[in-house]
Amino acid sequence: MTAYELHNIKVFRQQNCILDIPSLILPKSDCIALFGDNGAGKSTLLDLLAFIKTPSEGKVFLSGMPVTLPLLPAQRCKIGYVSQHPFLLSGSVSDNIRLALKLQNTETKRHPRLIAEALEQVGLTHLANQAASTLSGGELKRAAIARAISYHPEILLLDEPFSHLDQSHIQSLETIIAQLADQTETTVIFSTHNRLQGRALANDVINLVDGKTTKSPLINVYDGTLKQAIFDTGKLHIHTNSMQDEVRHVAIDPHEIIVSHQAIRSSMRNQFQGRIISIAEEANEVRVTVDCQERFHAIITHSSLHELKLELGQSIWISFKSQAVSVF
Amino acid sequence: MSYFADSLSTAVALITSFDKDIYHIVITSLSISIVAAIIAATGAIPAGTLMGLHEFRGKHLLQHLLNTLMALPTVVIGLLLYGLFSRLGPLGYLQLLYTPTAVIIAEAILIFPIMMNLTVVAVTSSDTRLVPTLISLGAKPGQLLFHVIKHCRFAILAAVITGFGRAIGEVGAAMMLGGNIEGYTRTMTTAIALETSKGEFEVGLALGLLLLFIAFGINFLLSWLQRAQP
Repeated sequence: MTAYELHNIKVFRQQNCILDIPSLILPKSDCIALFGDNGAGKSTLLDLLAFIKTPSEGKVFLSGMPVTLPLLPAQRCKIGYVSQHPFLLSGSVSDNIRLALKLQNTETKRHPRLIAEALEQVGLTHLANQAASTLSGGELKRAAIARAISYHPEILLLDEPFSHLDQSHIQSLETIIAQLADQTETTVIFSTHNRLQGRALANDVINLVDGKTTKSPLINVYDGTLKQAIFDTGKLHIHTNSMQDEVRHVAIDPHEIIVSHQAIRSSMRNQFQGRIISIAEEANEVRVTVDCQERFHAIITHSSLHELKLELGQSIWISFKSQAVSVF
Repeated sequence: MSYFADSLSTAVALITSFDKDIYHIVITSLSISIVAAIIAATGAIPAGTLMGLHEFRGKHLLQHLLNTLMALPTVVIGLLLYGLFSRLGPLGYLQLLYTPTAVIIAEAILIFPIMMNLTVVAVTSSDTRLVPTLISLGAKPGQLLFHVIKHCRFAILAAVITGFGRAIGEVGAAMMLGGNIEGYTRTMTTAIALETSKGEFEVGLALGLLLLFIAFGINFLLSWLQRAQP
């Protein structure tokens, strides 16, 4: 069962295509991270998924059903949405949650219990009667999440939930999101520009670059042009197995890049010599950054690092198959 | 100078002695303006909110039209309605000419664009996250309208009070359509015009002072409400 299906989606802003998704299926009961730089189209995509905006072209299906706006109450109650800069109306935190419950036609007698549950889930029980206008940034985000989860939506959409928060608030919010994602039947989709956060919390990551989705991790992304399966970055030629013309970006999965001291005689079409400029630990693995005119990031294990005796400044070869190159 | 000072002291004496005729004029003025403001607000607030919330073909033209109507001379409205309500006019059979109803209609028409325009401004200048938040929480079109008006209530109230202020200070249409009939359609402004033309400067000045006092009260109420805004 799918939470969303998107077909031939295009969103234009002043004649510029800011979102172009030929096909995207988001499964139910998953925790999905939308990863991309600022302006990549994450908020636009979430607005579409929250049915706050309509696409210029294409169709969005919710739980397998085509959707027309305004949403039916039975469809709207499935979605909880927290924007990047959440807005709380005047009144207390409880008043805001009560408003959401009223608008969702929840029975009035259930309100006190649902409000208490939602506030407890985000750890804001002590601020139930505090004026929303006096909340700090972290409290405001948690209050907005409480409001969005109060009516138990099947899908929770969170736009940049960790932005502008200090470390302690980020950790508590990560715990809340992880708990919500663990709940059966709840699909959590959140956007972030922090790749590690995305990978740590989500079991699926969708990458957005210039309004286009890609499954490849957004490191080793290069801009350029593709001609006869060879992508020209302006500095390097990367072999791909794509014959498309309208390609502006390629990405190489850092796990697919092989690091060696010598050039390897193999079927790998892409081999470049460069210099190690960074070695860093990342999520129990090691990221080696090699400057071969373009910078490539390779993820290797700790044991490989020791066996190869890699050091900063060392001259080294990287190799990857044309199949490892995603084009979009 | 002594003429002005004498007139002023006579005016104050008329006010403080609670002169029946003067207060009857004040009550007529207030009741006509309040009813006109309520009628205009009933239509202008939802219309202005809807206009502020939606983009539609001709919105800019409507905005220009509202701006023009805001500056419409009152005598023009008075003239048009006079033509409609006069015995030979298309609505002459309603026999509304020289009645408070005619003045109320004229003033409601006069202040409708002011209230609507200021409501549009209130809605469009409200937080841009308000509407998406309400939609995402499940607000249906009617609920959306209600909550947007509720959220912008202080700015919208300012629009209503501004409209009321224009109505109570209006003289052209009230004179043409009300006829300035004593004890019936005589308002503060028409009475001031009449008394001054008769040379009864004191009565005109007394009414002028009361009108100023009401204007001050309205402004005080407005600033108090804006300070009370959470």
